[in-house]
Amino acid sequence: METSREDFGIAVRSAFLAKGTKQRFSLFVLIILSIIFLFAETIETKPLNYLRSFIKDTIYRGSLVVSIPFKSFDNIVENINKHMNLYNSYSKLKIENDELKNNISKSDFLELENTQLKKLIEEQVSSSSNLVSARIMLDKQSPYLNSLIINIGSNKNIENGMAVLDGKNFIGRIVDVNFFSSRVLLVSDLNSKISVISEPSAHHAILTGHGENVLSLEYLPENHNIKDGDKVYTSGKEGIFSPGIPVGVVKIEKNIVTVSLFSDLSQITFVNVNLEDLEKDK
Amino acid sequence: MVYIYKQIKFKFFELLPLLLLFFISLNGNSIIGLKYFSINIHYILVYYWVLRRPRALGYGFIFLSGIISDVVFGLPLGINALSLLIIAGTAAYVRVVTVRVTLINDWISFIPALLIANFVYFLSLYFSNYSVDYLFLFKNSVFTFIFYPILWGIFSLILNLTKS
Repeated sequence: METSREDFGIAVRSAFLAKGTKQRFSLFVLIILSIIFLFAETIETKPLNYLRSFIKDTIYRGSLVVSIPFKSFDNIVENINKHMNLYNSYSKLKIENDELKNNISKSDFLELENTQLKKLIEEQVSSSSNLVSARIMLDKQSPYLNSLIINIGSNKNIENGMAVLDGKNFIGRIVDVNFFSSRVLLVSDLNSKISVISEPSAHHAILTGHGENVLSLEYLPENHNIKDGDKVYTSGKEGIFSPGIPVGVVKIEKNIVTVSLFSDLSQITFVNVNLEDLEKDK
Repeated sequence: MVYIYKQIKFKFFELLPLLLLFFISLNGNSIIGLKYFSINIHYILVYYWVLRRPRALGYGFIFLSGIISDVVFGLPLGINALSLLIIAGTAAYVRVVTVRVTLINDWISFIPALLIANFVYFLSLYFSNYSVDYLFLFKNSVFTFIFYPILWGIFSLILNLTKS
């Protein structure tokens, strides 16, 4: 019995402490180093933050270079598919164009009416939106974090918590800022929870991501009258995001209230970062 | 000329595991997500090569590759590095205690490696306040185990090419 215990000890020591041929570090040293790295993640000091930013910026650039052949291949496949579906797309667009032409006059009238009503309640009509555009560098979808890397960081006054938009639609927020890059946590991520308001039913709720494209509305009042097709906007109640940014549309299936986003998260190339809240703070 | 060609071929196949290791971490392909399941090829790659030819993958490179994966996936630095080193440690232990090399031996000893590494992974994510999809983690472990023999075959082929 004792011999087998000794054998086990010798084997473990040999595996974790001994350095093999061409090995500069033992496993034990590297495991300790990993644990130190993990603990260092919880420490927020300027030198450490600079080091982290430098490491991340460098790796993002490396990753960008490595993924170029795959991106090019994907683009070629996409272009071929687009060409194959050209006729169908043309027919669809023609129908859509006719519908849009019909709706334009209606929309102009509603816009005018909306402006007049806003004036009536003395709201600020022309919002001084302060958006900065950025290009998506990497969109490696981790199973544990749905996020994007954009090509601007502290060099463009980006800060944690800022809202990120696709056009005018909300898609996520900044969670990590480096010198020349930032990470955007998408609304679809498990860790994403934002306060929203439905329209026209005007119910406040929390929009929760589940790692997929379909999101759910939580903490709705018990007797809510939310309907299929209601629009969802940021409520601004948490004091981080500006209110009224469009997010998605409500879908009700088997009494489960879900939200499908206005933006297709897999098809985004450029995003806008809303600096408005930062300007307000200043 | 033939000698130079052979040397280049030999060097290429010898460096292939290392190139693959950095390629999959930089390109974010550590976990291949298919429609109903996902496979962690990073784990299989590290386990196989540390078990079979430890000099092909240095522990320092494994650590570095884990750090790269953490950055690419947006996880706290050290999580992937730690779990990959755990896999490497288990493989090194198995290498010390086993004599005969068979697929079944490798495959069965891969179970504790997977369990310990994913447990460490889960703990690190939990203490870093990350929401974890438990079902995903479970399914990923099961399918990584199931797909081990396929990658074992491919890697054995590469290993034979370096020998020949």
